Amino acid sequence: MVAALLIVLALLPLGISGSYYMHVLILAFIYVVISSSWRVVSISGQFNIAIGAFMGIGAYAAAIPNVWLDWSPWITIPLGAVAAAILGAALAFPFARLRTIYYAMGTLFLGYVVINLITAGGKTTGMSTGLGGVQPLFSDRKYYYYLTLGLMIVSMICMYRFEFSRIGVRMKAVAQSHQVAASVGIGERRTRILAVAFGSFFAGLMGAVYCHYQGVASPSSYGLAATLWIIMYILVGGINSFWGPTVGVGILLIVPEFFFRDLKGDLPYVTAAILLIIAFTMPEGIVGLLKLIRDRVVARLRRKEVGTDAAGS
Amino acid sequence: MLLEVENLTKNFGGLAAVNDFDIQVAEGEIVGLIGPNGAGKSTVFNLITGVFKPTAGRIVFDGRDITRKQPEQVARLGIGRTFQLNPLFHEFTVLENVTSSFELHPHSSLFDTFFGTRKYRRNEAFIQEKAQEILELVGLSEEAGELAKNLAHGHQKMLGVARALATKPRLLLLDEPLAGMNPGEIQYSLDAIRDMRDNGITVLIVEHNMQILSLCDRVVVISFGKKITEGLPEEVRANAEVISAYFGADYVC
Repeated sequence: MVAALLIVLALLPLGISGSYYMHVLILAFIYVVISSSWRVVSISGQFNIAIGAFMGIGAYAAAIPNVWLDWSPWITIPLGAVAAAILGAALAFPFARLRTIYYAMGTLFLGYVVINLITAGGKTTGMSTGLGGVQPLFSDRKYYYYLTLGLMIVSMICMYRFEFSRIGVRMKAVAQSHQVAASVGIGERRTRILAVAFGSFFAGLMGAVYCHYQGVASPSSYGLAATLWIIMYILVGGINSFWGPTVGVGILLIVPEFFFRDLKGDLPYVTAAILLIIAFTMPEGIVGLLKLIRDRVVARLRRKEVGTDAAGS
Repeated sequence: MLLEVENLTKNFGGLAAVNDFDIQVAEGEIVGLIGPNGAGKSTVFNLITGVFKPTAGRIVFDGRDITRKQPEQVARLGIGRTFQLNPLFHEFTVLENVTSSFELHPHSSLFDTFFGTRKYRRNEAFIQEKAQEILELVGLSEEAGELAKNLAHGHQKMLGVARALATKPRLLLLDEPLAGMNPGEIQYSLDAIRDMRDNGITVLIVEHNMQILSLCDRVVVISFGKKITEGLPEEVRANAEVISAYFGADYVC
């Protein structure tokens, strides 16, 4: 099924070339990676309310050398990713002392600080209007489509390896009980810093790609509102499932833009309605609900099997 | 001596939870640390394992000073432990609780793990096999697929022991292994602990259930953070009058 979906995505530009829909899909690919990177950090028990800021760090780390030093985008994009990972690790060090809601609050303030530092950066960062004139990678949108699609596939493979290997087990162990984890030799601080560095790498990478695509890095794209959108994608899709953020982006970004564009100004009401329905009826998000249904069906089939076996014997 | 604790003191605010406390454990021994609730037994464990930092004193394990080490470093040096409360990864299955505790032997590097190299896959296969063996040892093979939080209390305690064994400890600290167990489970646990010692693991047990005396080579009695007596189980038992004066008659068998 994944293979079929990928083939459709690879061939799609032939059908919708140049249109607004391609723009929506490029944004969707970017946000799939960013929201998945948030979730991969969250499995270690860290609910980071500064994900937008990490995206911003990646964006500015790419935009500033590109605009002022004329570095090629092919250098500044990886630079954005690495800068976000290093800064993420450095910031995670003091934050590893905080847990649960205190961690969330701490990172909320961190997000504000980062945005304010960017806004206070004078000519270098372009202040609140943003830094324009970021060099585009391509002239044709189609190439952005393939670049972001490719980066999304590679990033998702990396995050999948991360979560479903022993590294992910360590993360989940620390999230459940840092004391028990320490008693078997899993250090909490080290584990949590690794999670943040890994996640920030992908947030920074896509932040950098995003600003080269838009041609501008502006602080409003990385503030609390951006963070909350990312968290909404994750909650709607399902925070406990690897594919949750992907499904969430599909429901909240692709579906409204593809099928409900006529609503225009009324769109936020539709989004709000979707959010409320999901918050009240699906605590584990859409993927969580699907898993529940699958488990029920499997259980029923198994019961039937046992029933016919008993009848046969 | 495998473990030497000297003049250990821990103050919480103005209260001395542990006060000038000494204990020695030789390789291959089973040592009991007994005393009433609130005597400071668990605090001693938390000091040895680095969860708390002592106010004063020295802790030496296998000739190495571990007084200020972090809990995960202490675990790496070969001290395993169980917890009185909340002893598990509740959202993991029983088997996952044990496999996730194989952090130290064998260890796969981040590179090996991320890229799933042959070494990593070999290590993981080894861990699966060993984890099954440990579950068999503590009698939890049947429950391997259950979520840890769904286990009965006695089984949760045994799973805590299984987890600690997975770290291949030289010294195992058991924090009230008998608390909340029924008589059958108590007998099973006593046998299991003896087996561990016979397999070369030194054991230090905190308990206020006096049934543990039958198991110990040596017993240290602690009350109000201080050592009040130490000796062979029979001596301590014979000292019952002294103990009852300290603890109240309930603690004398």
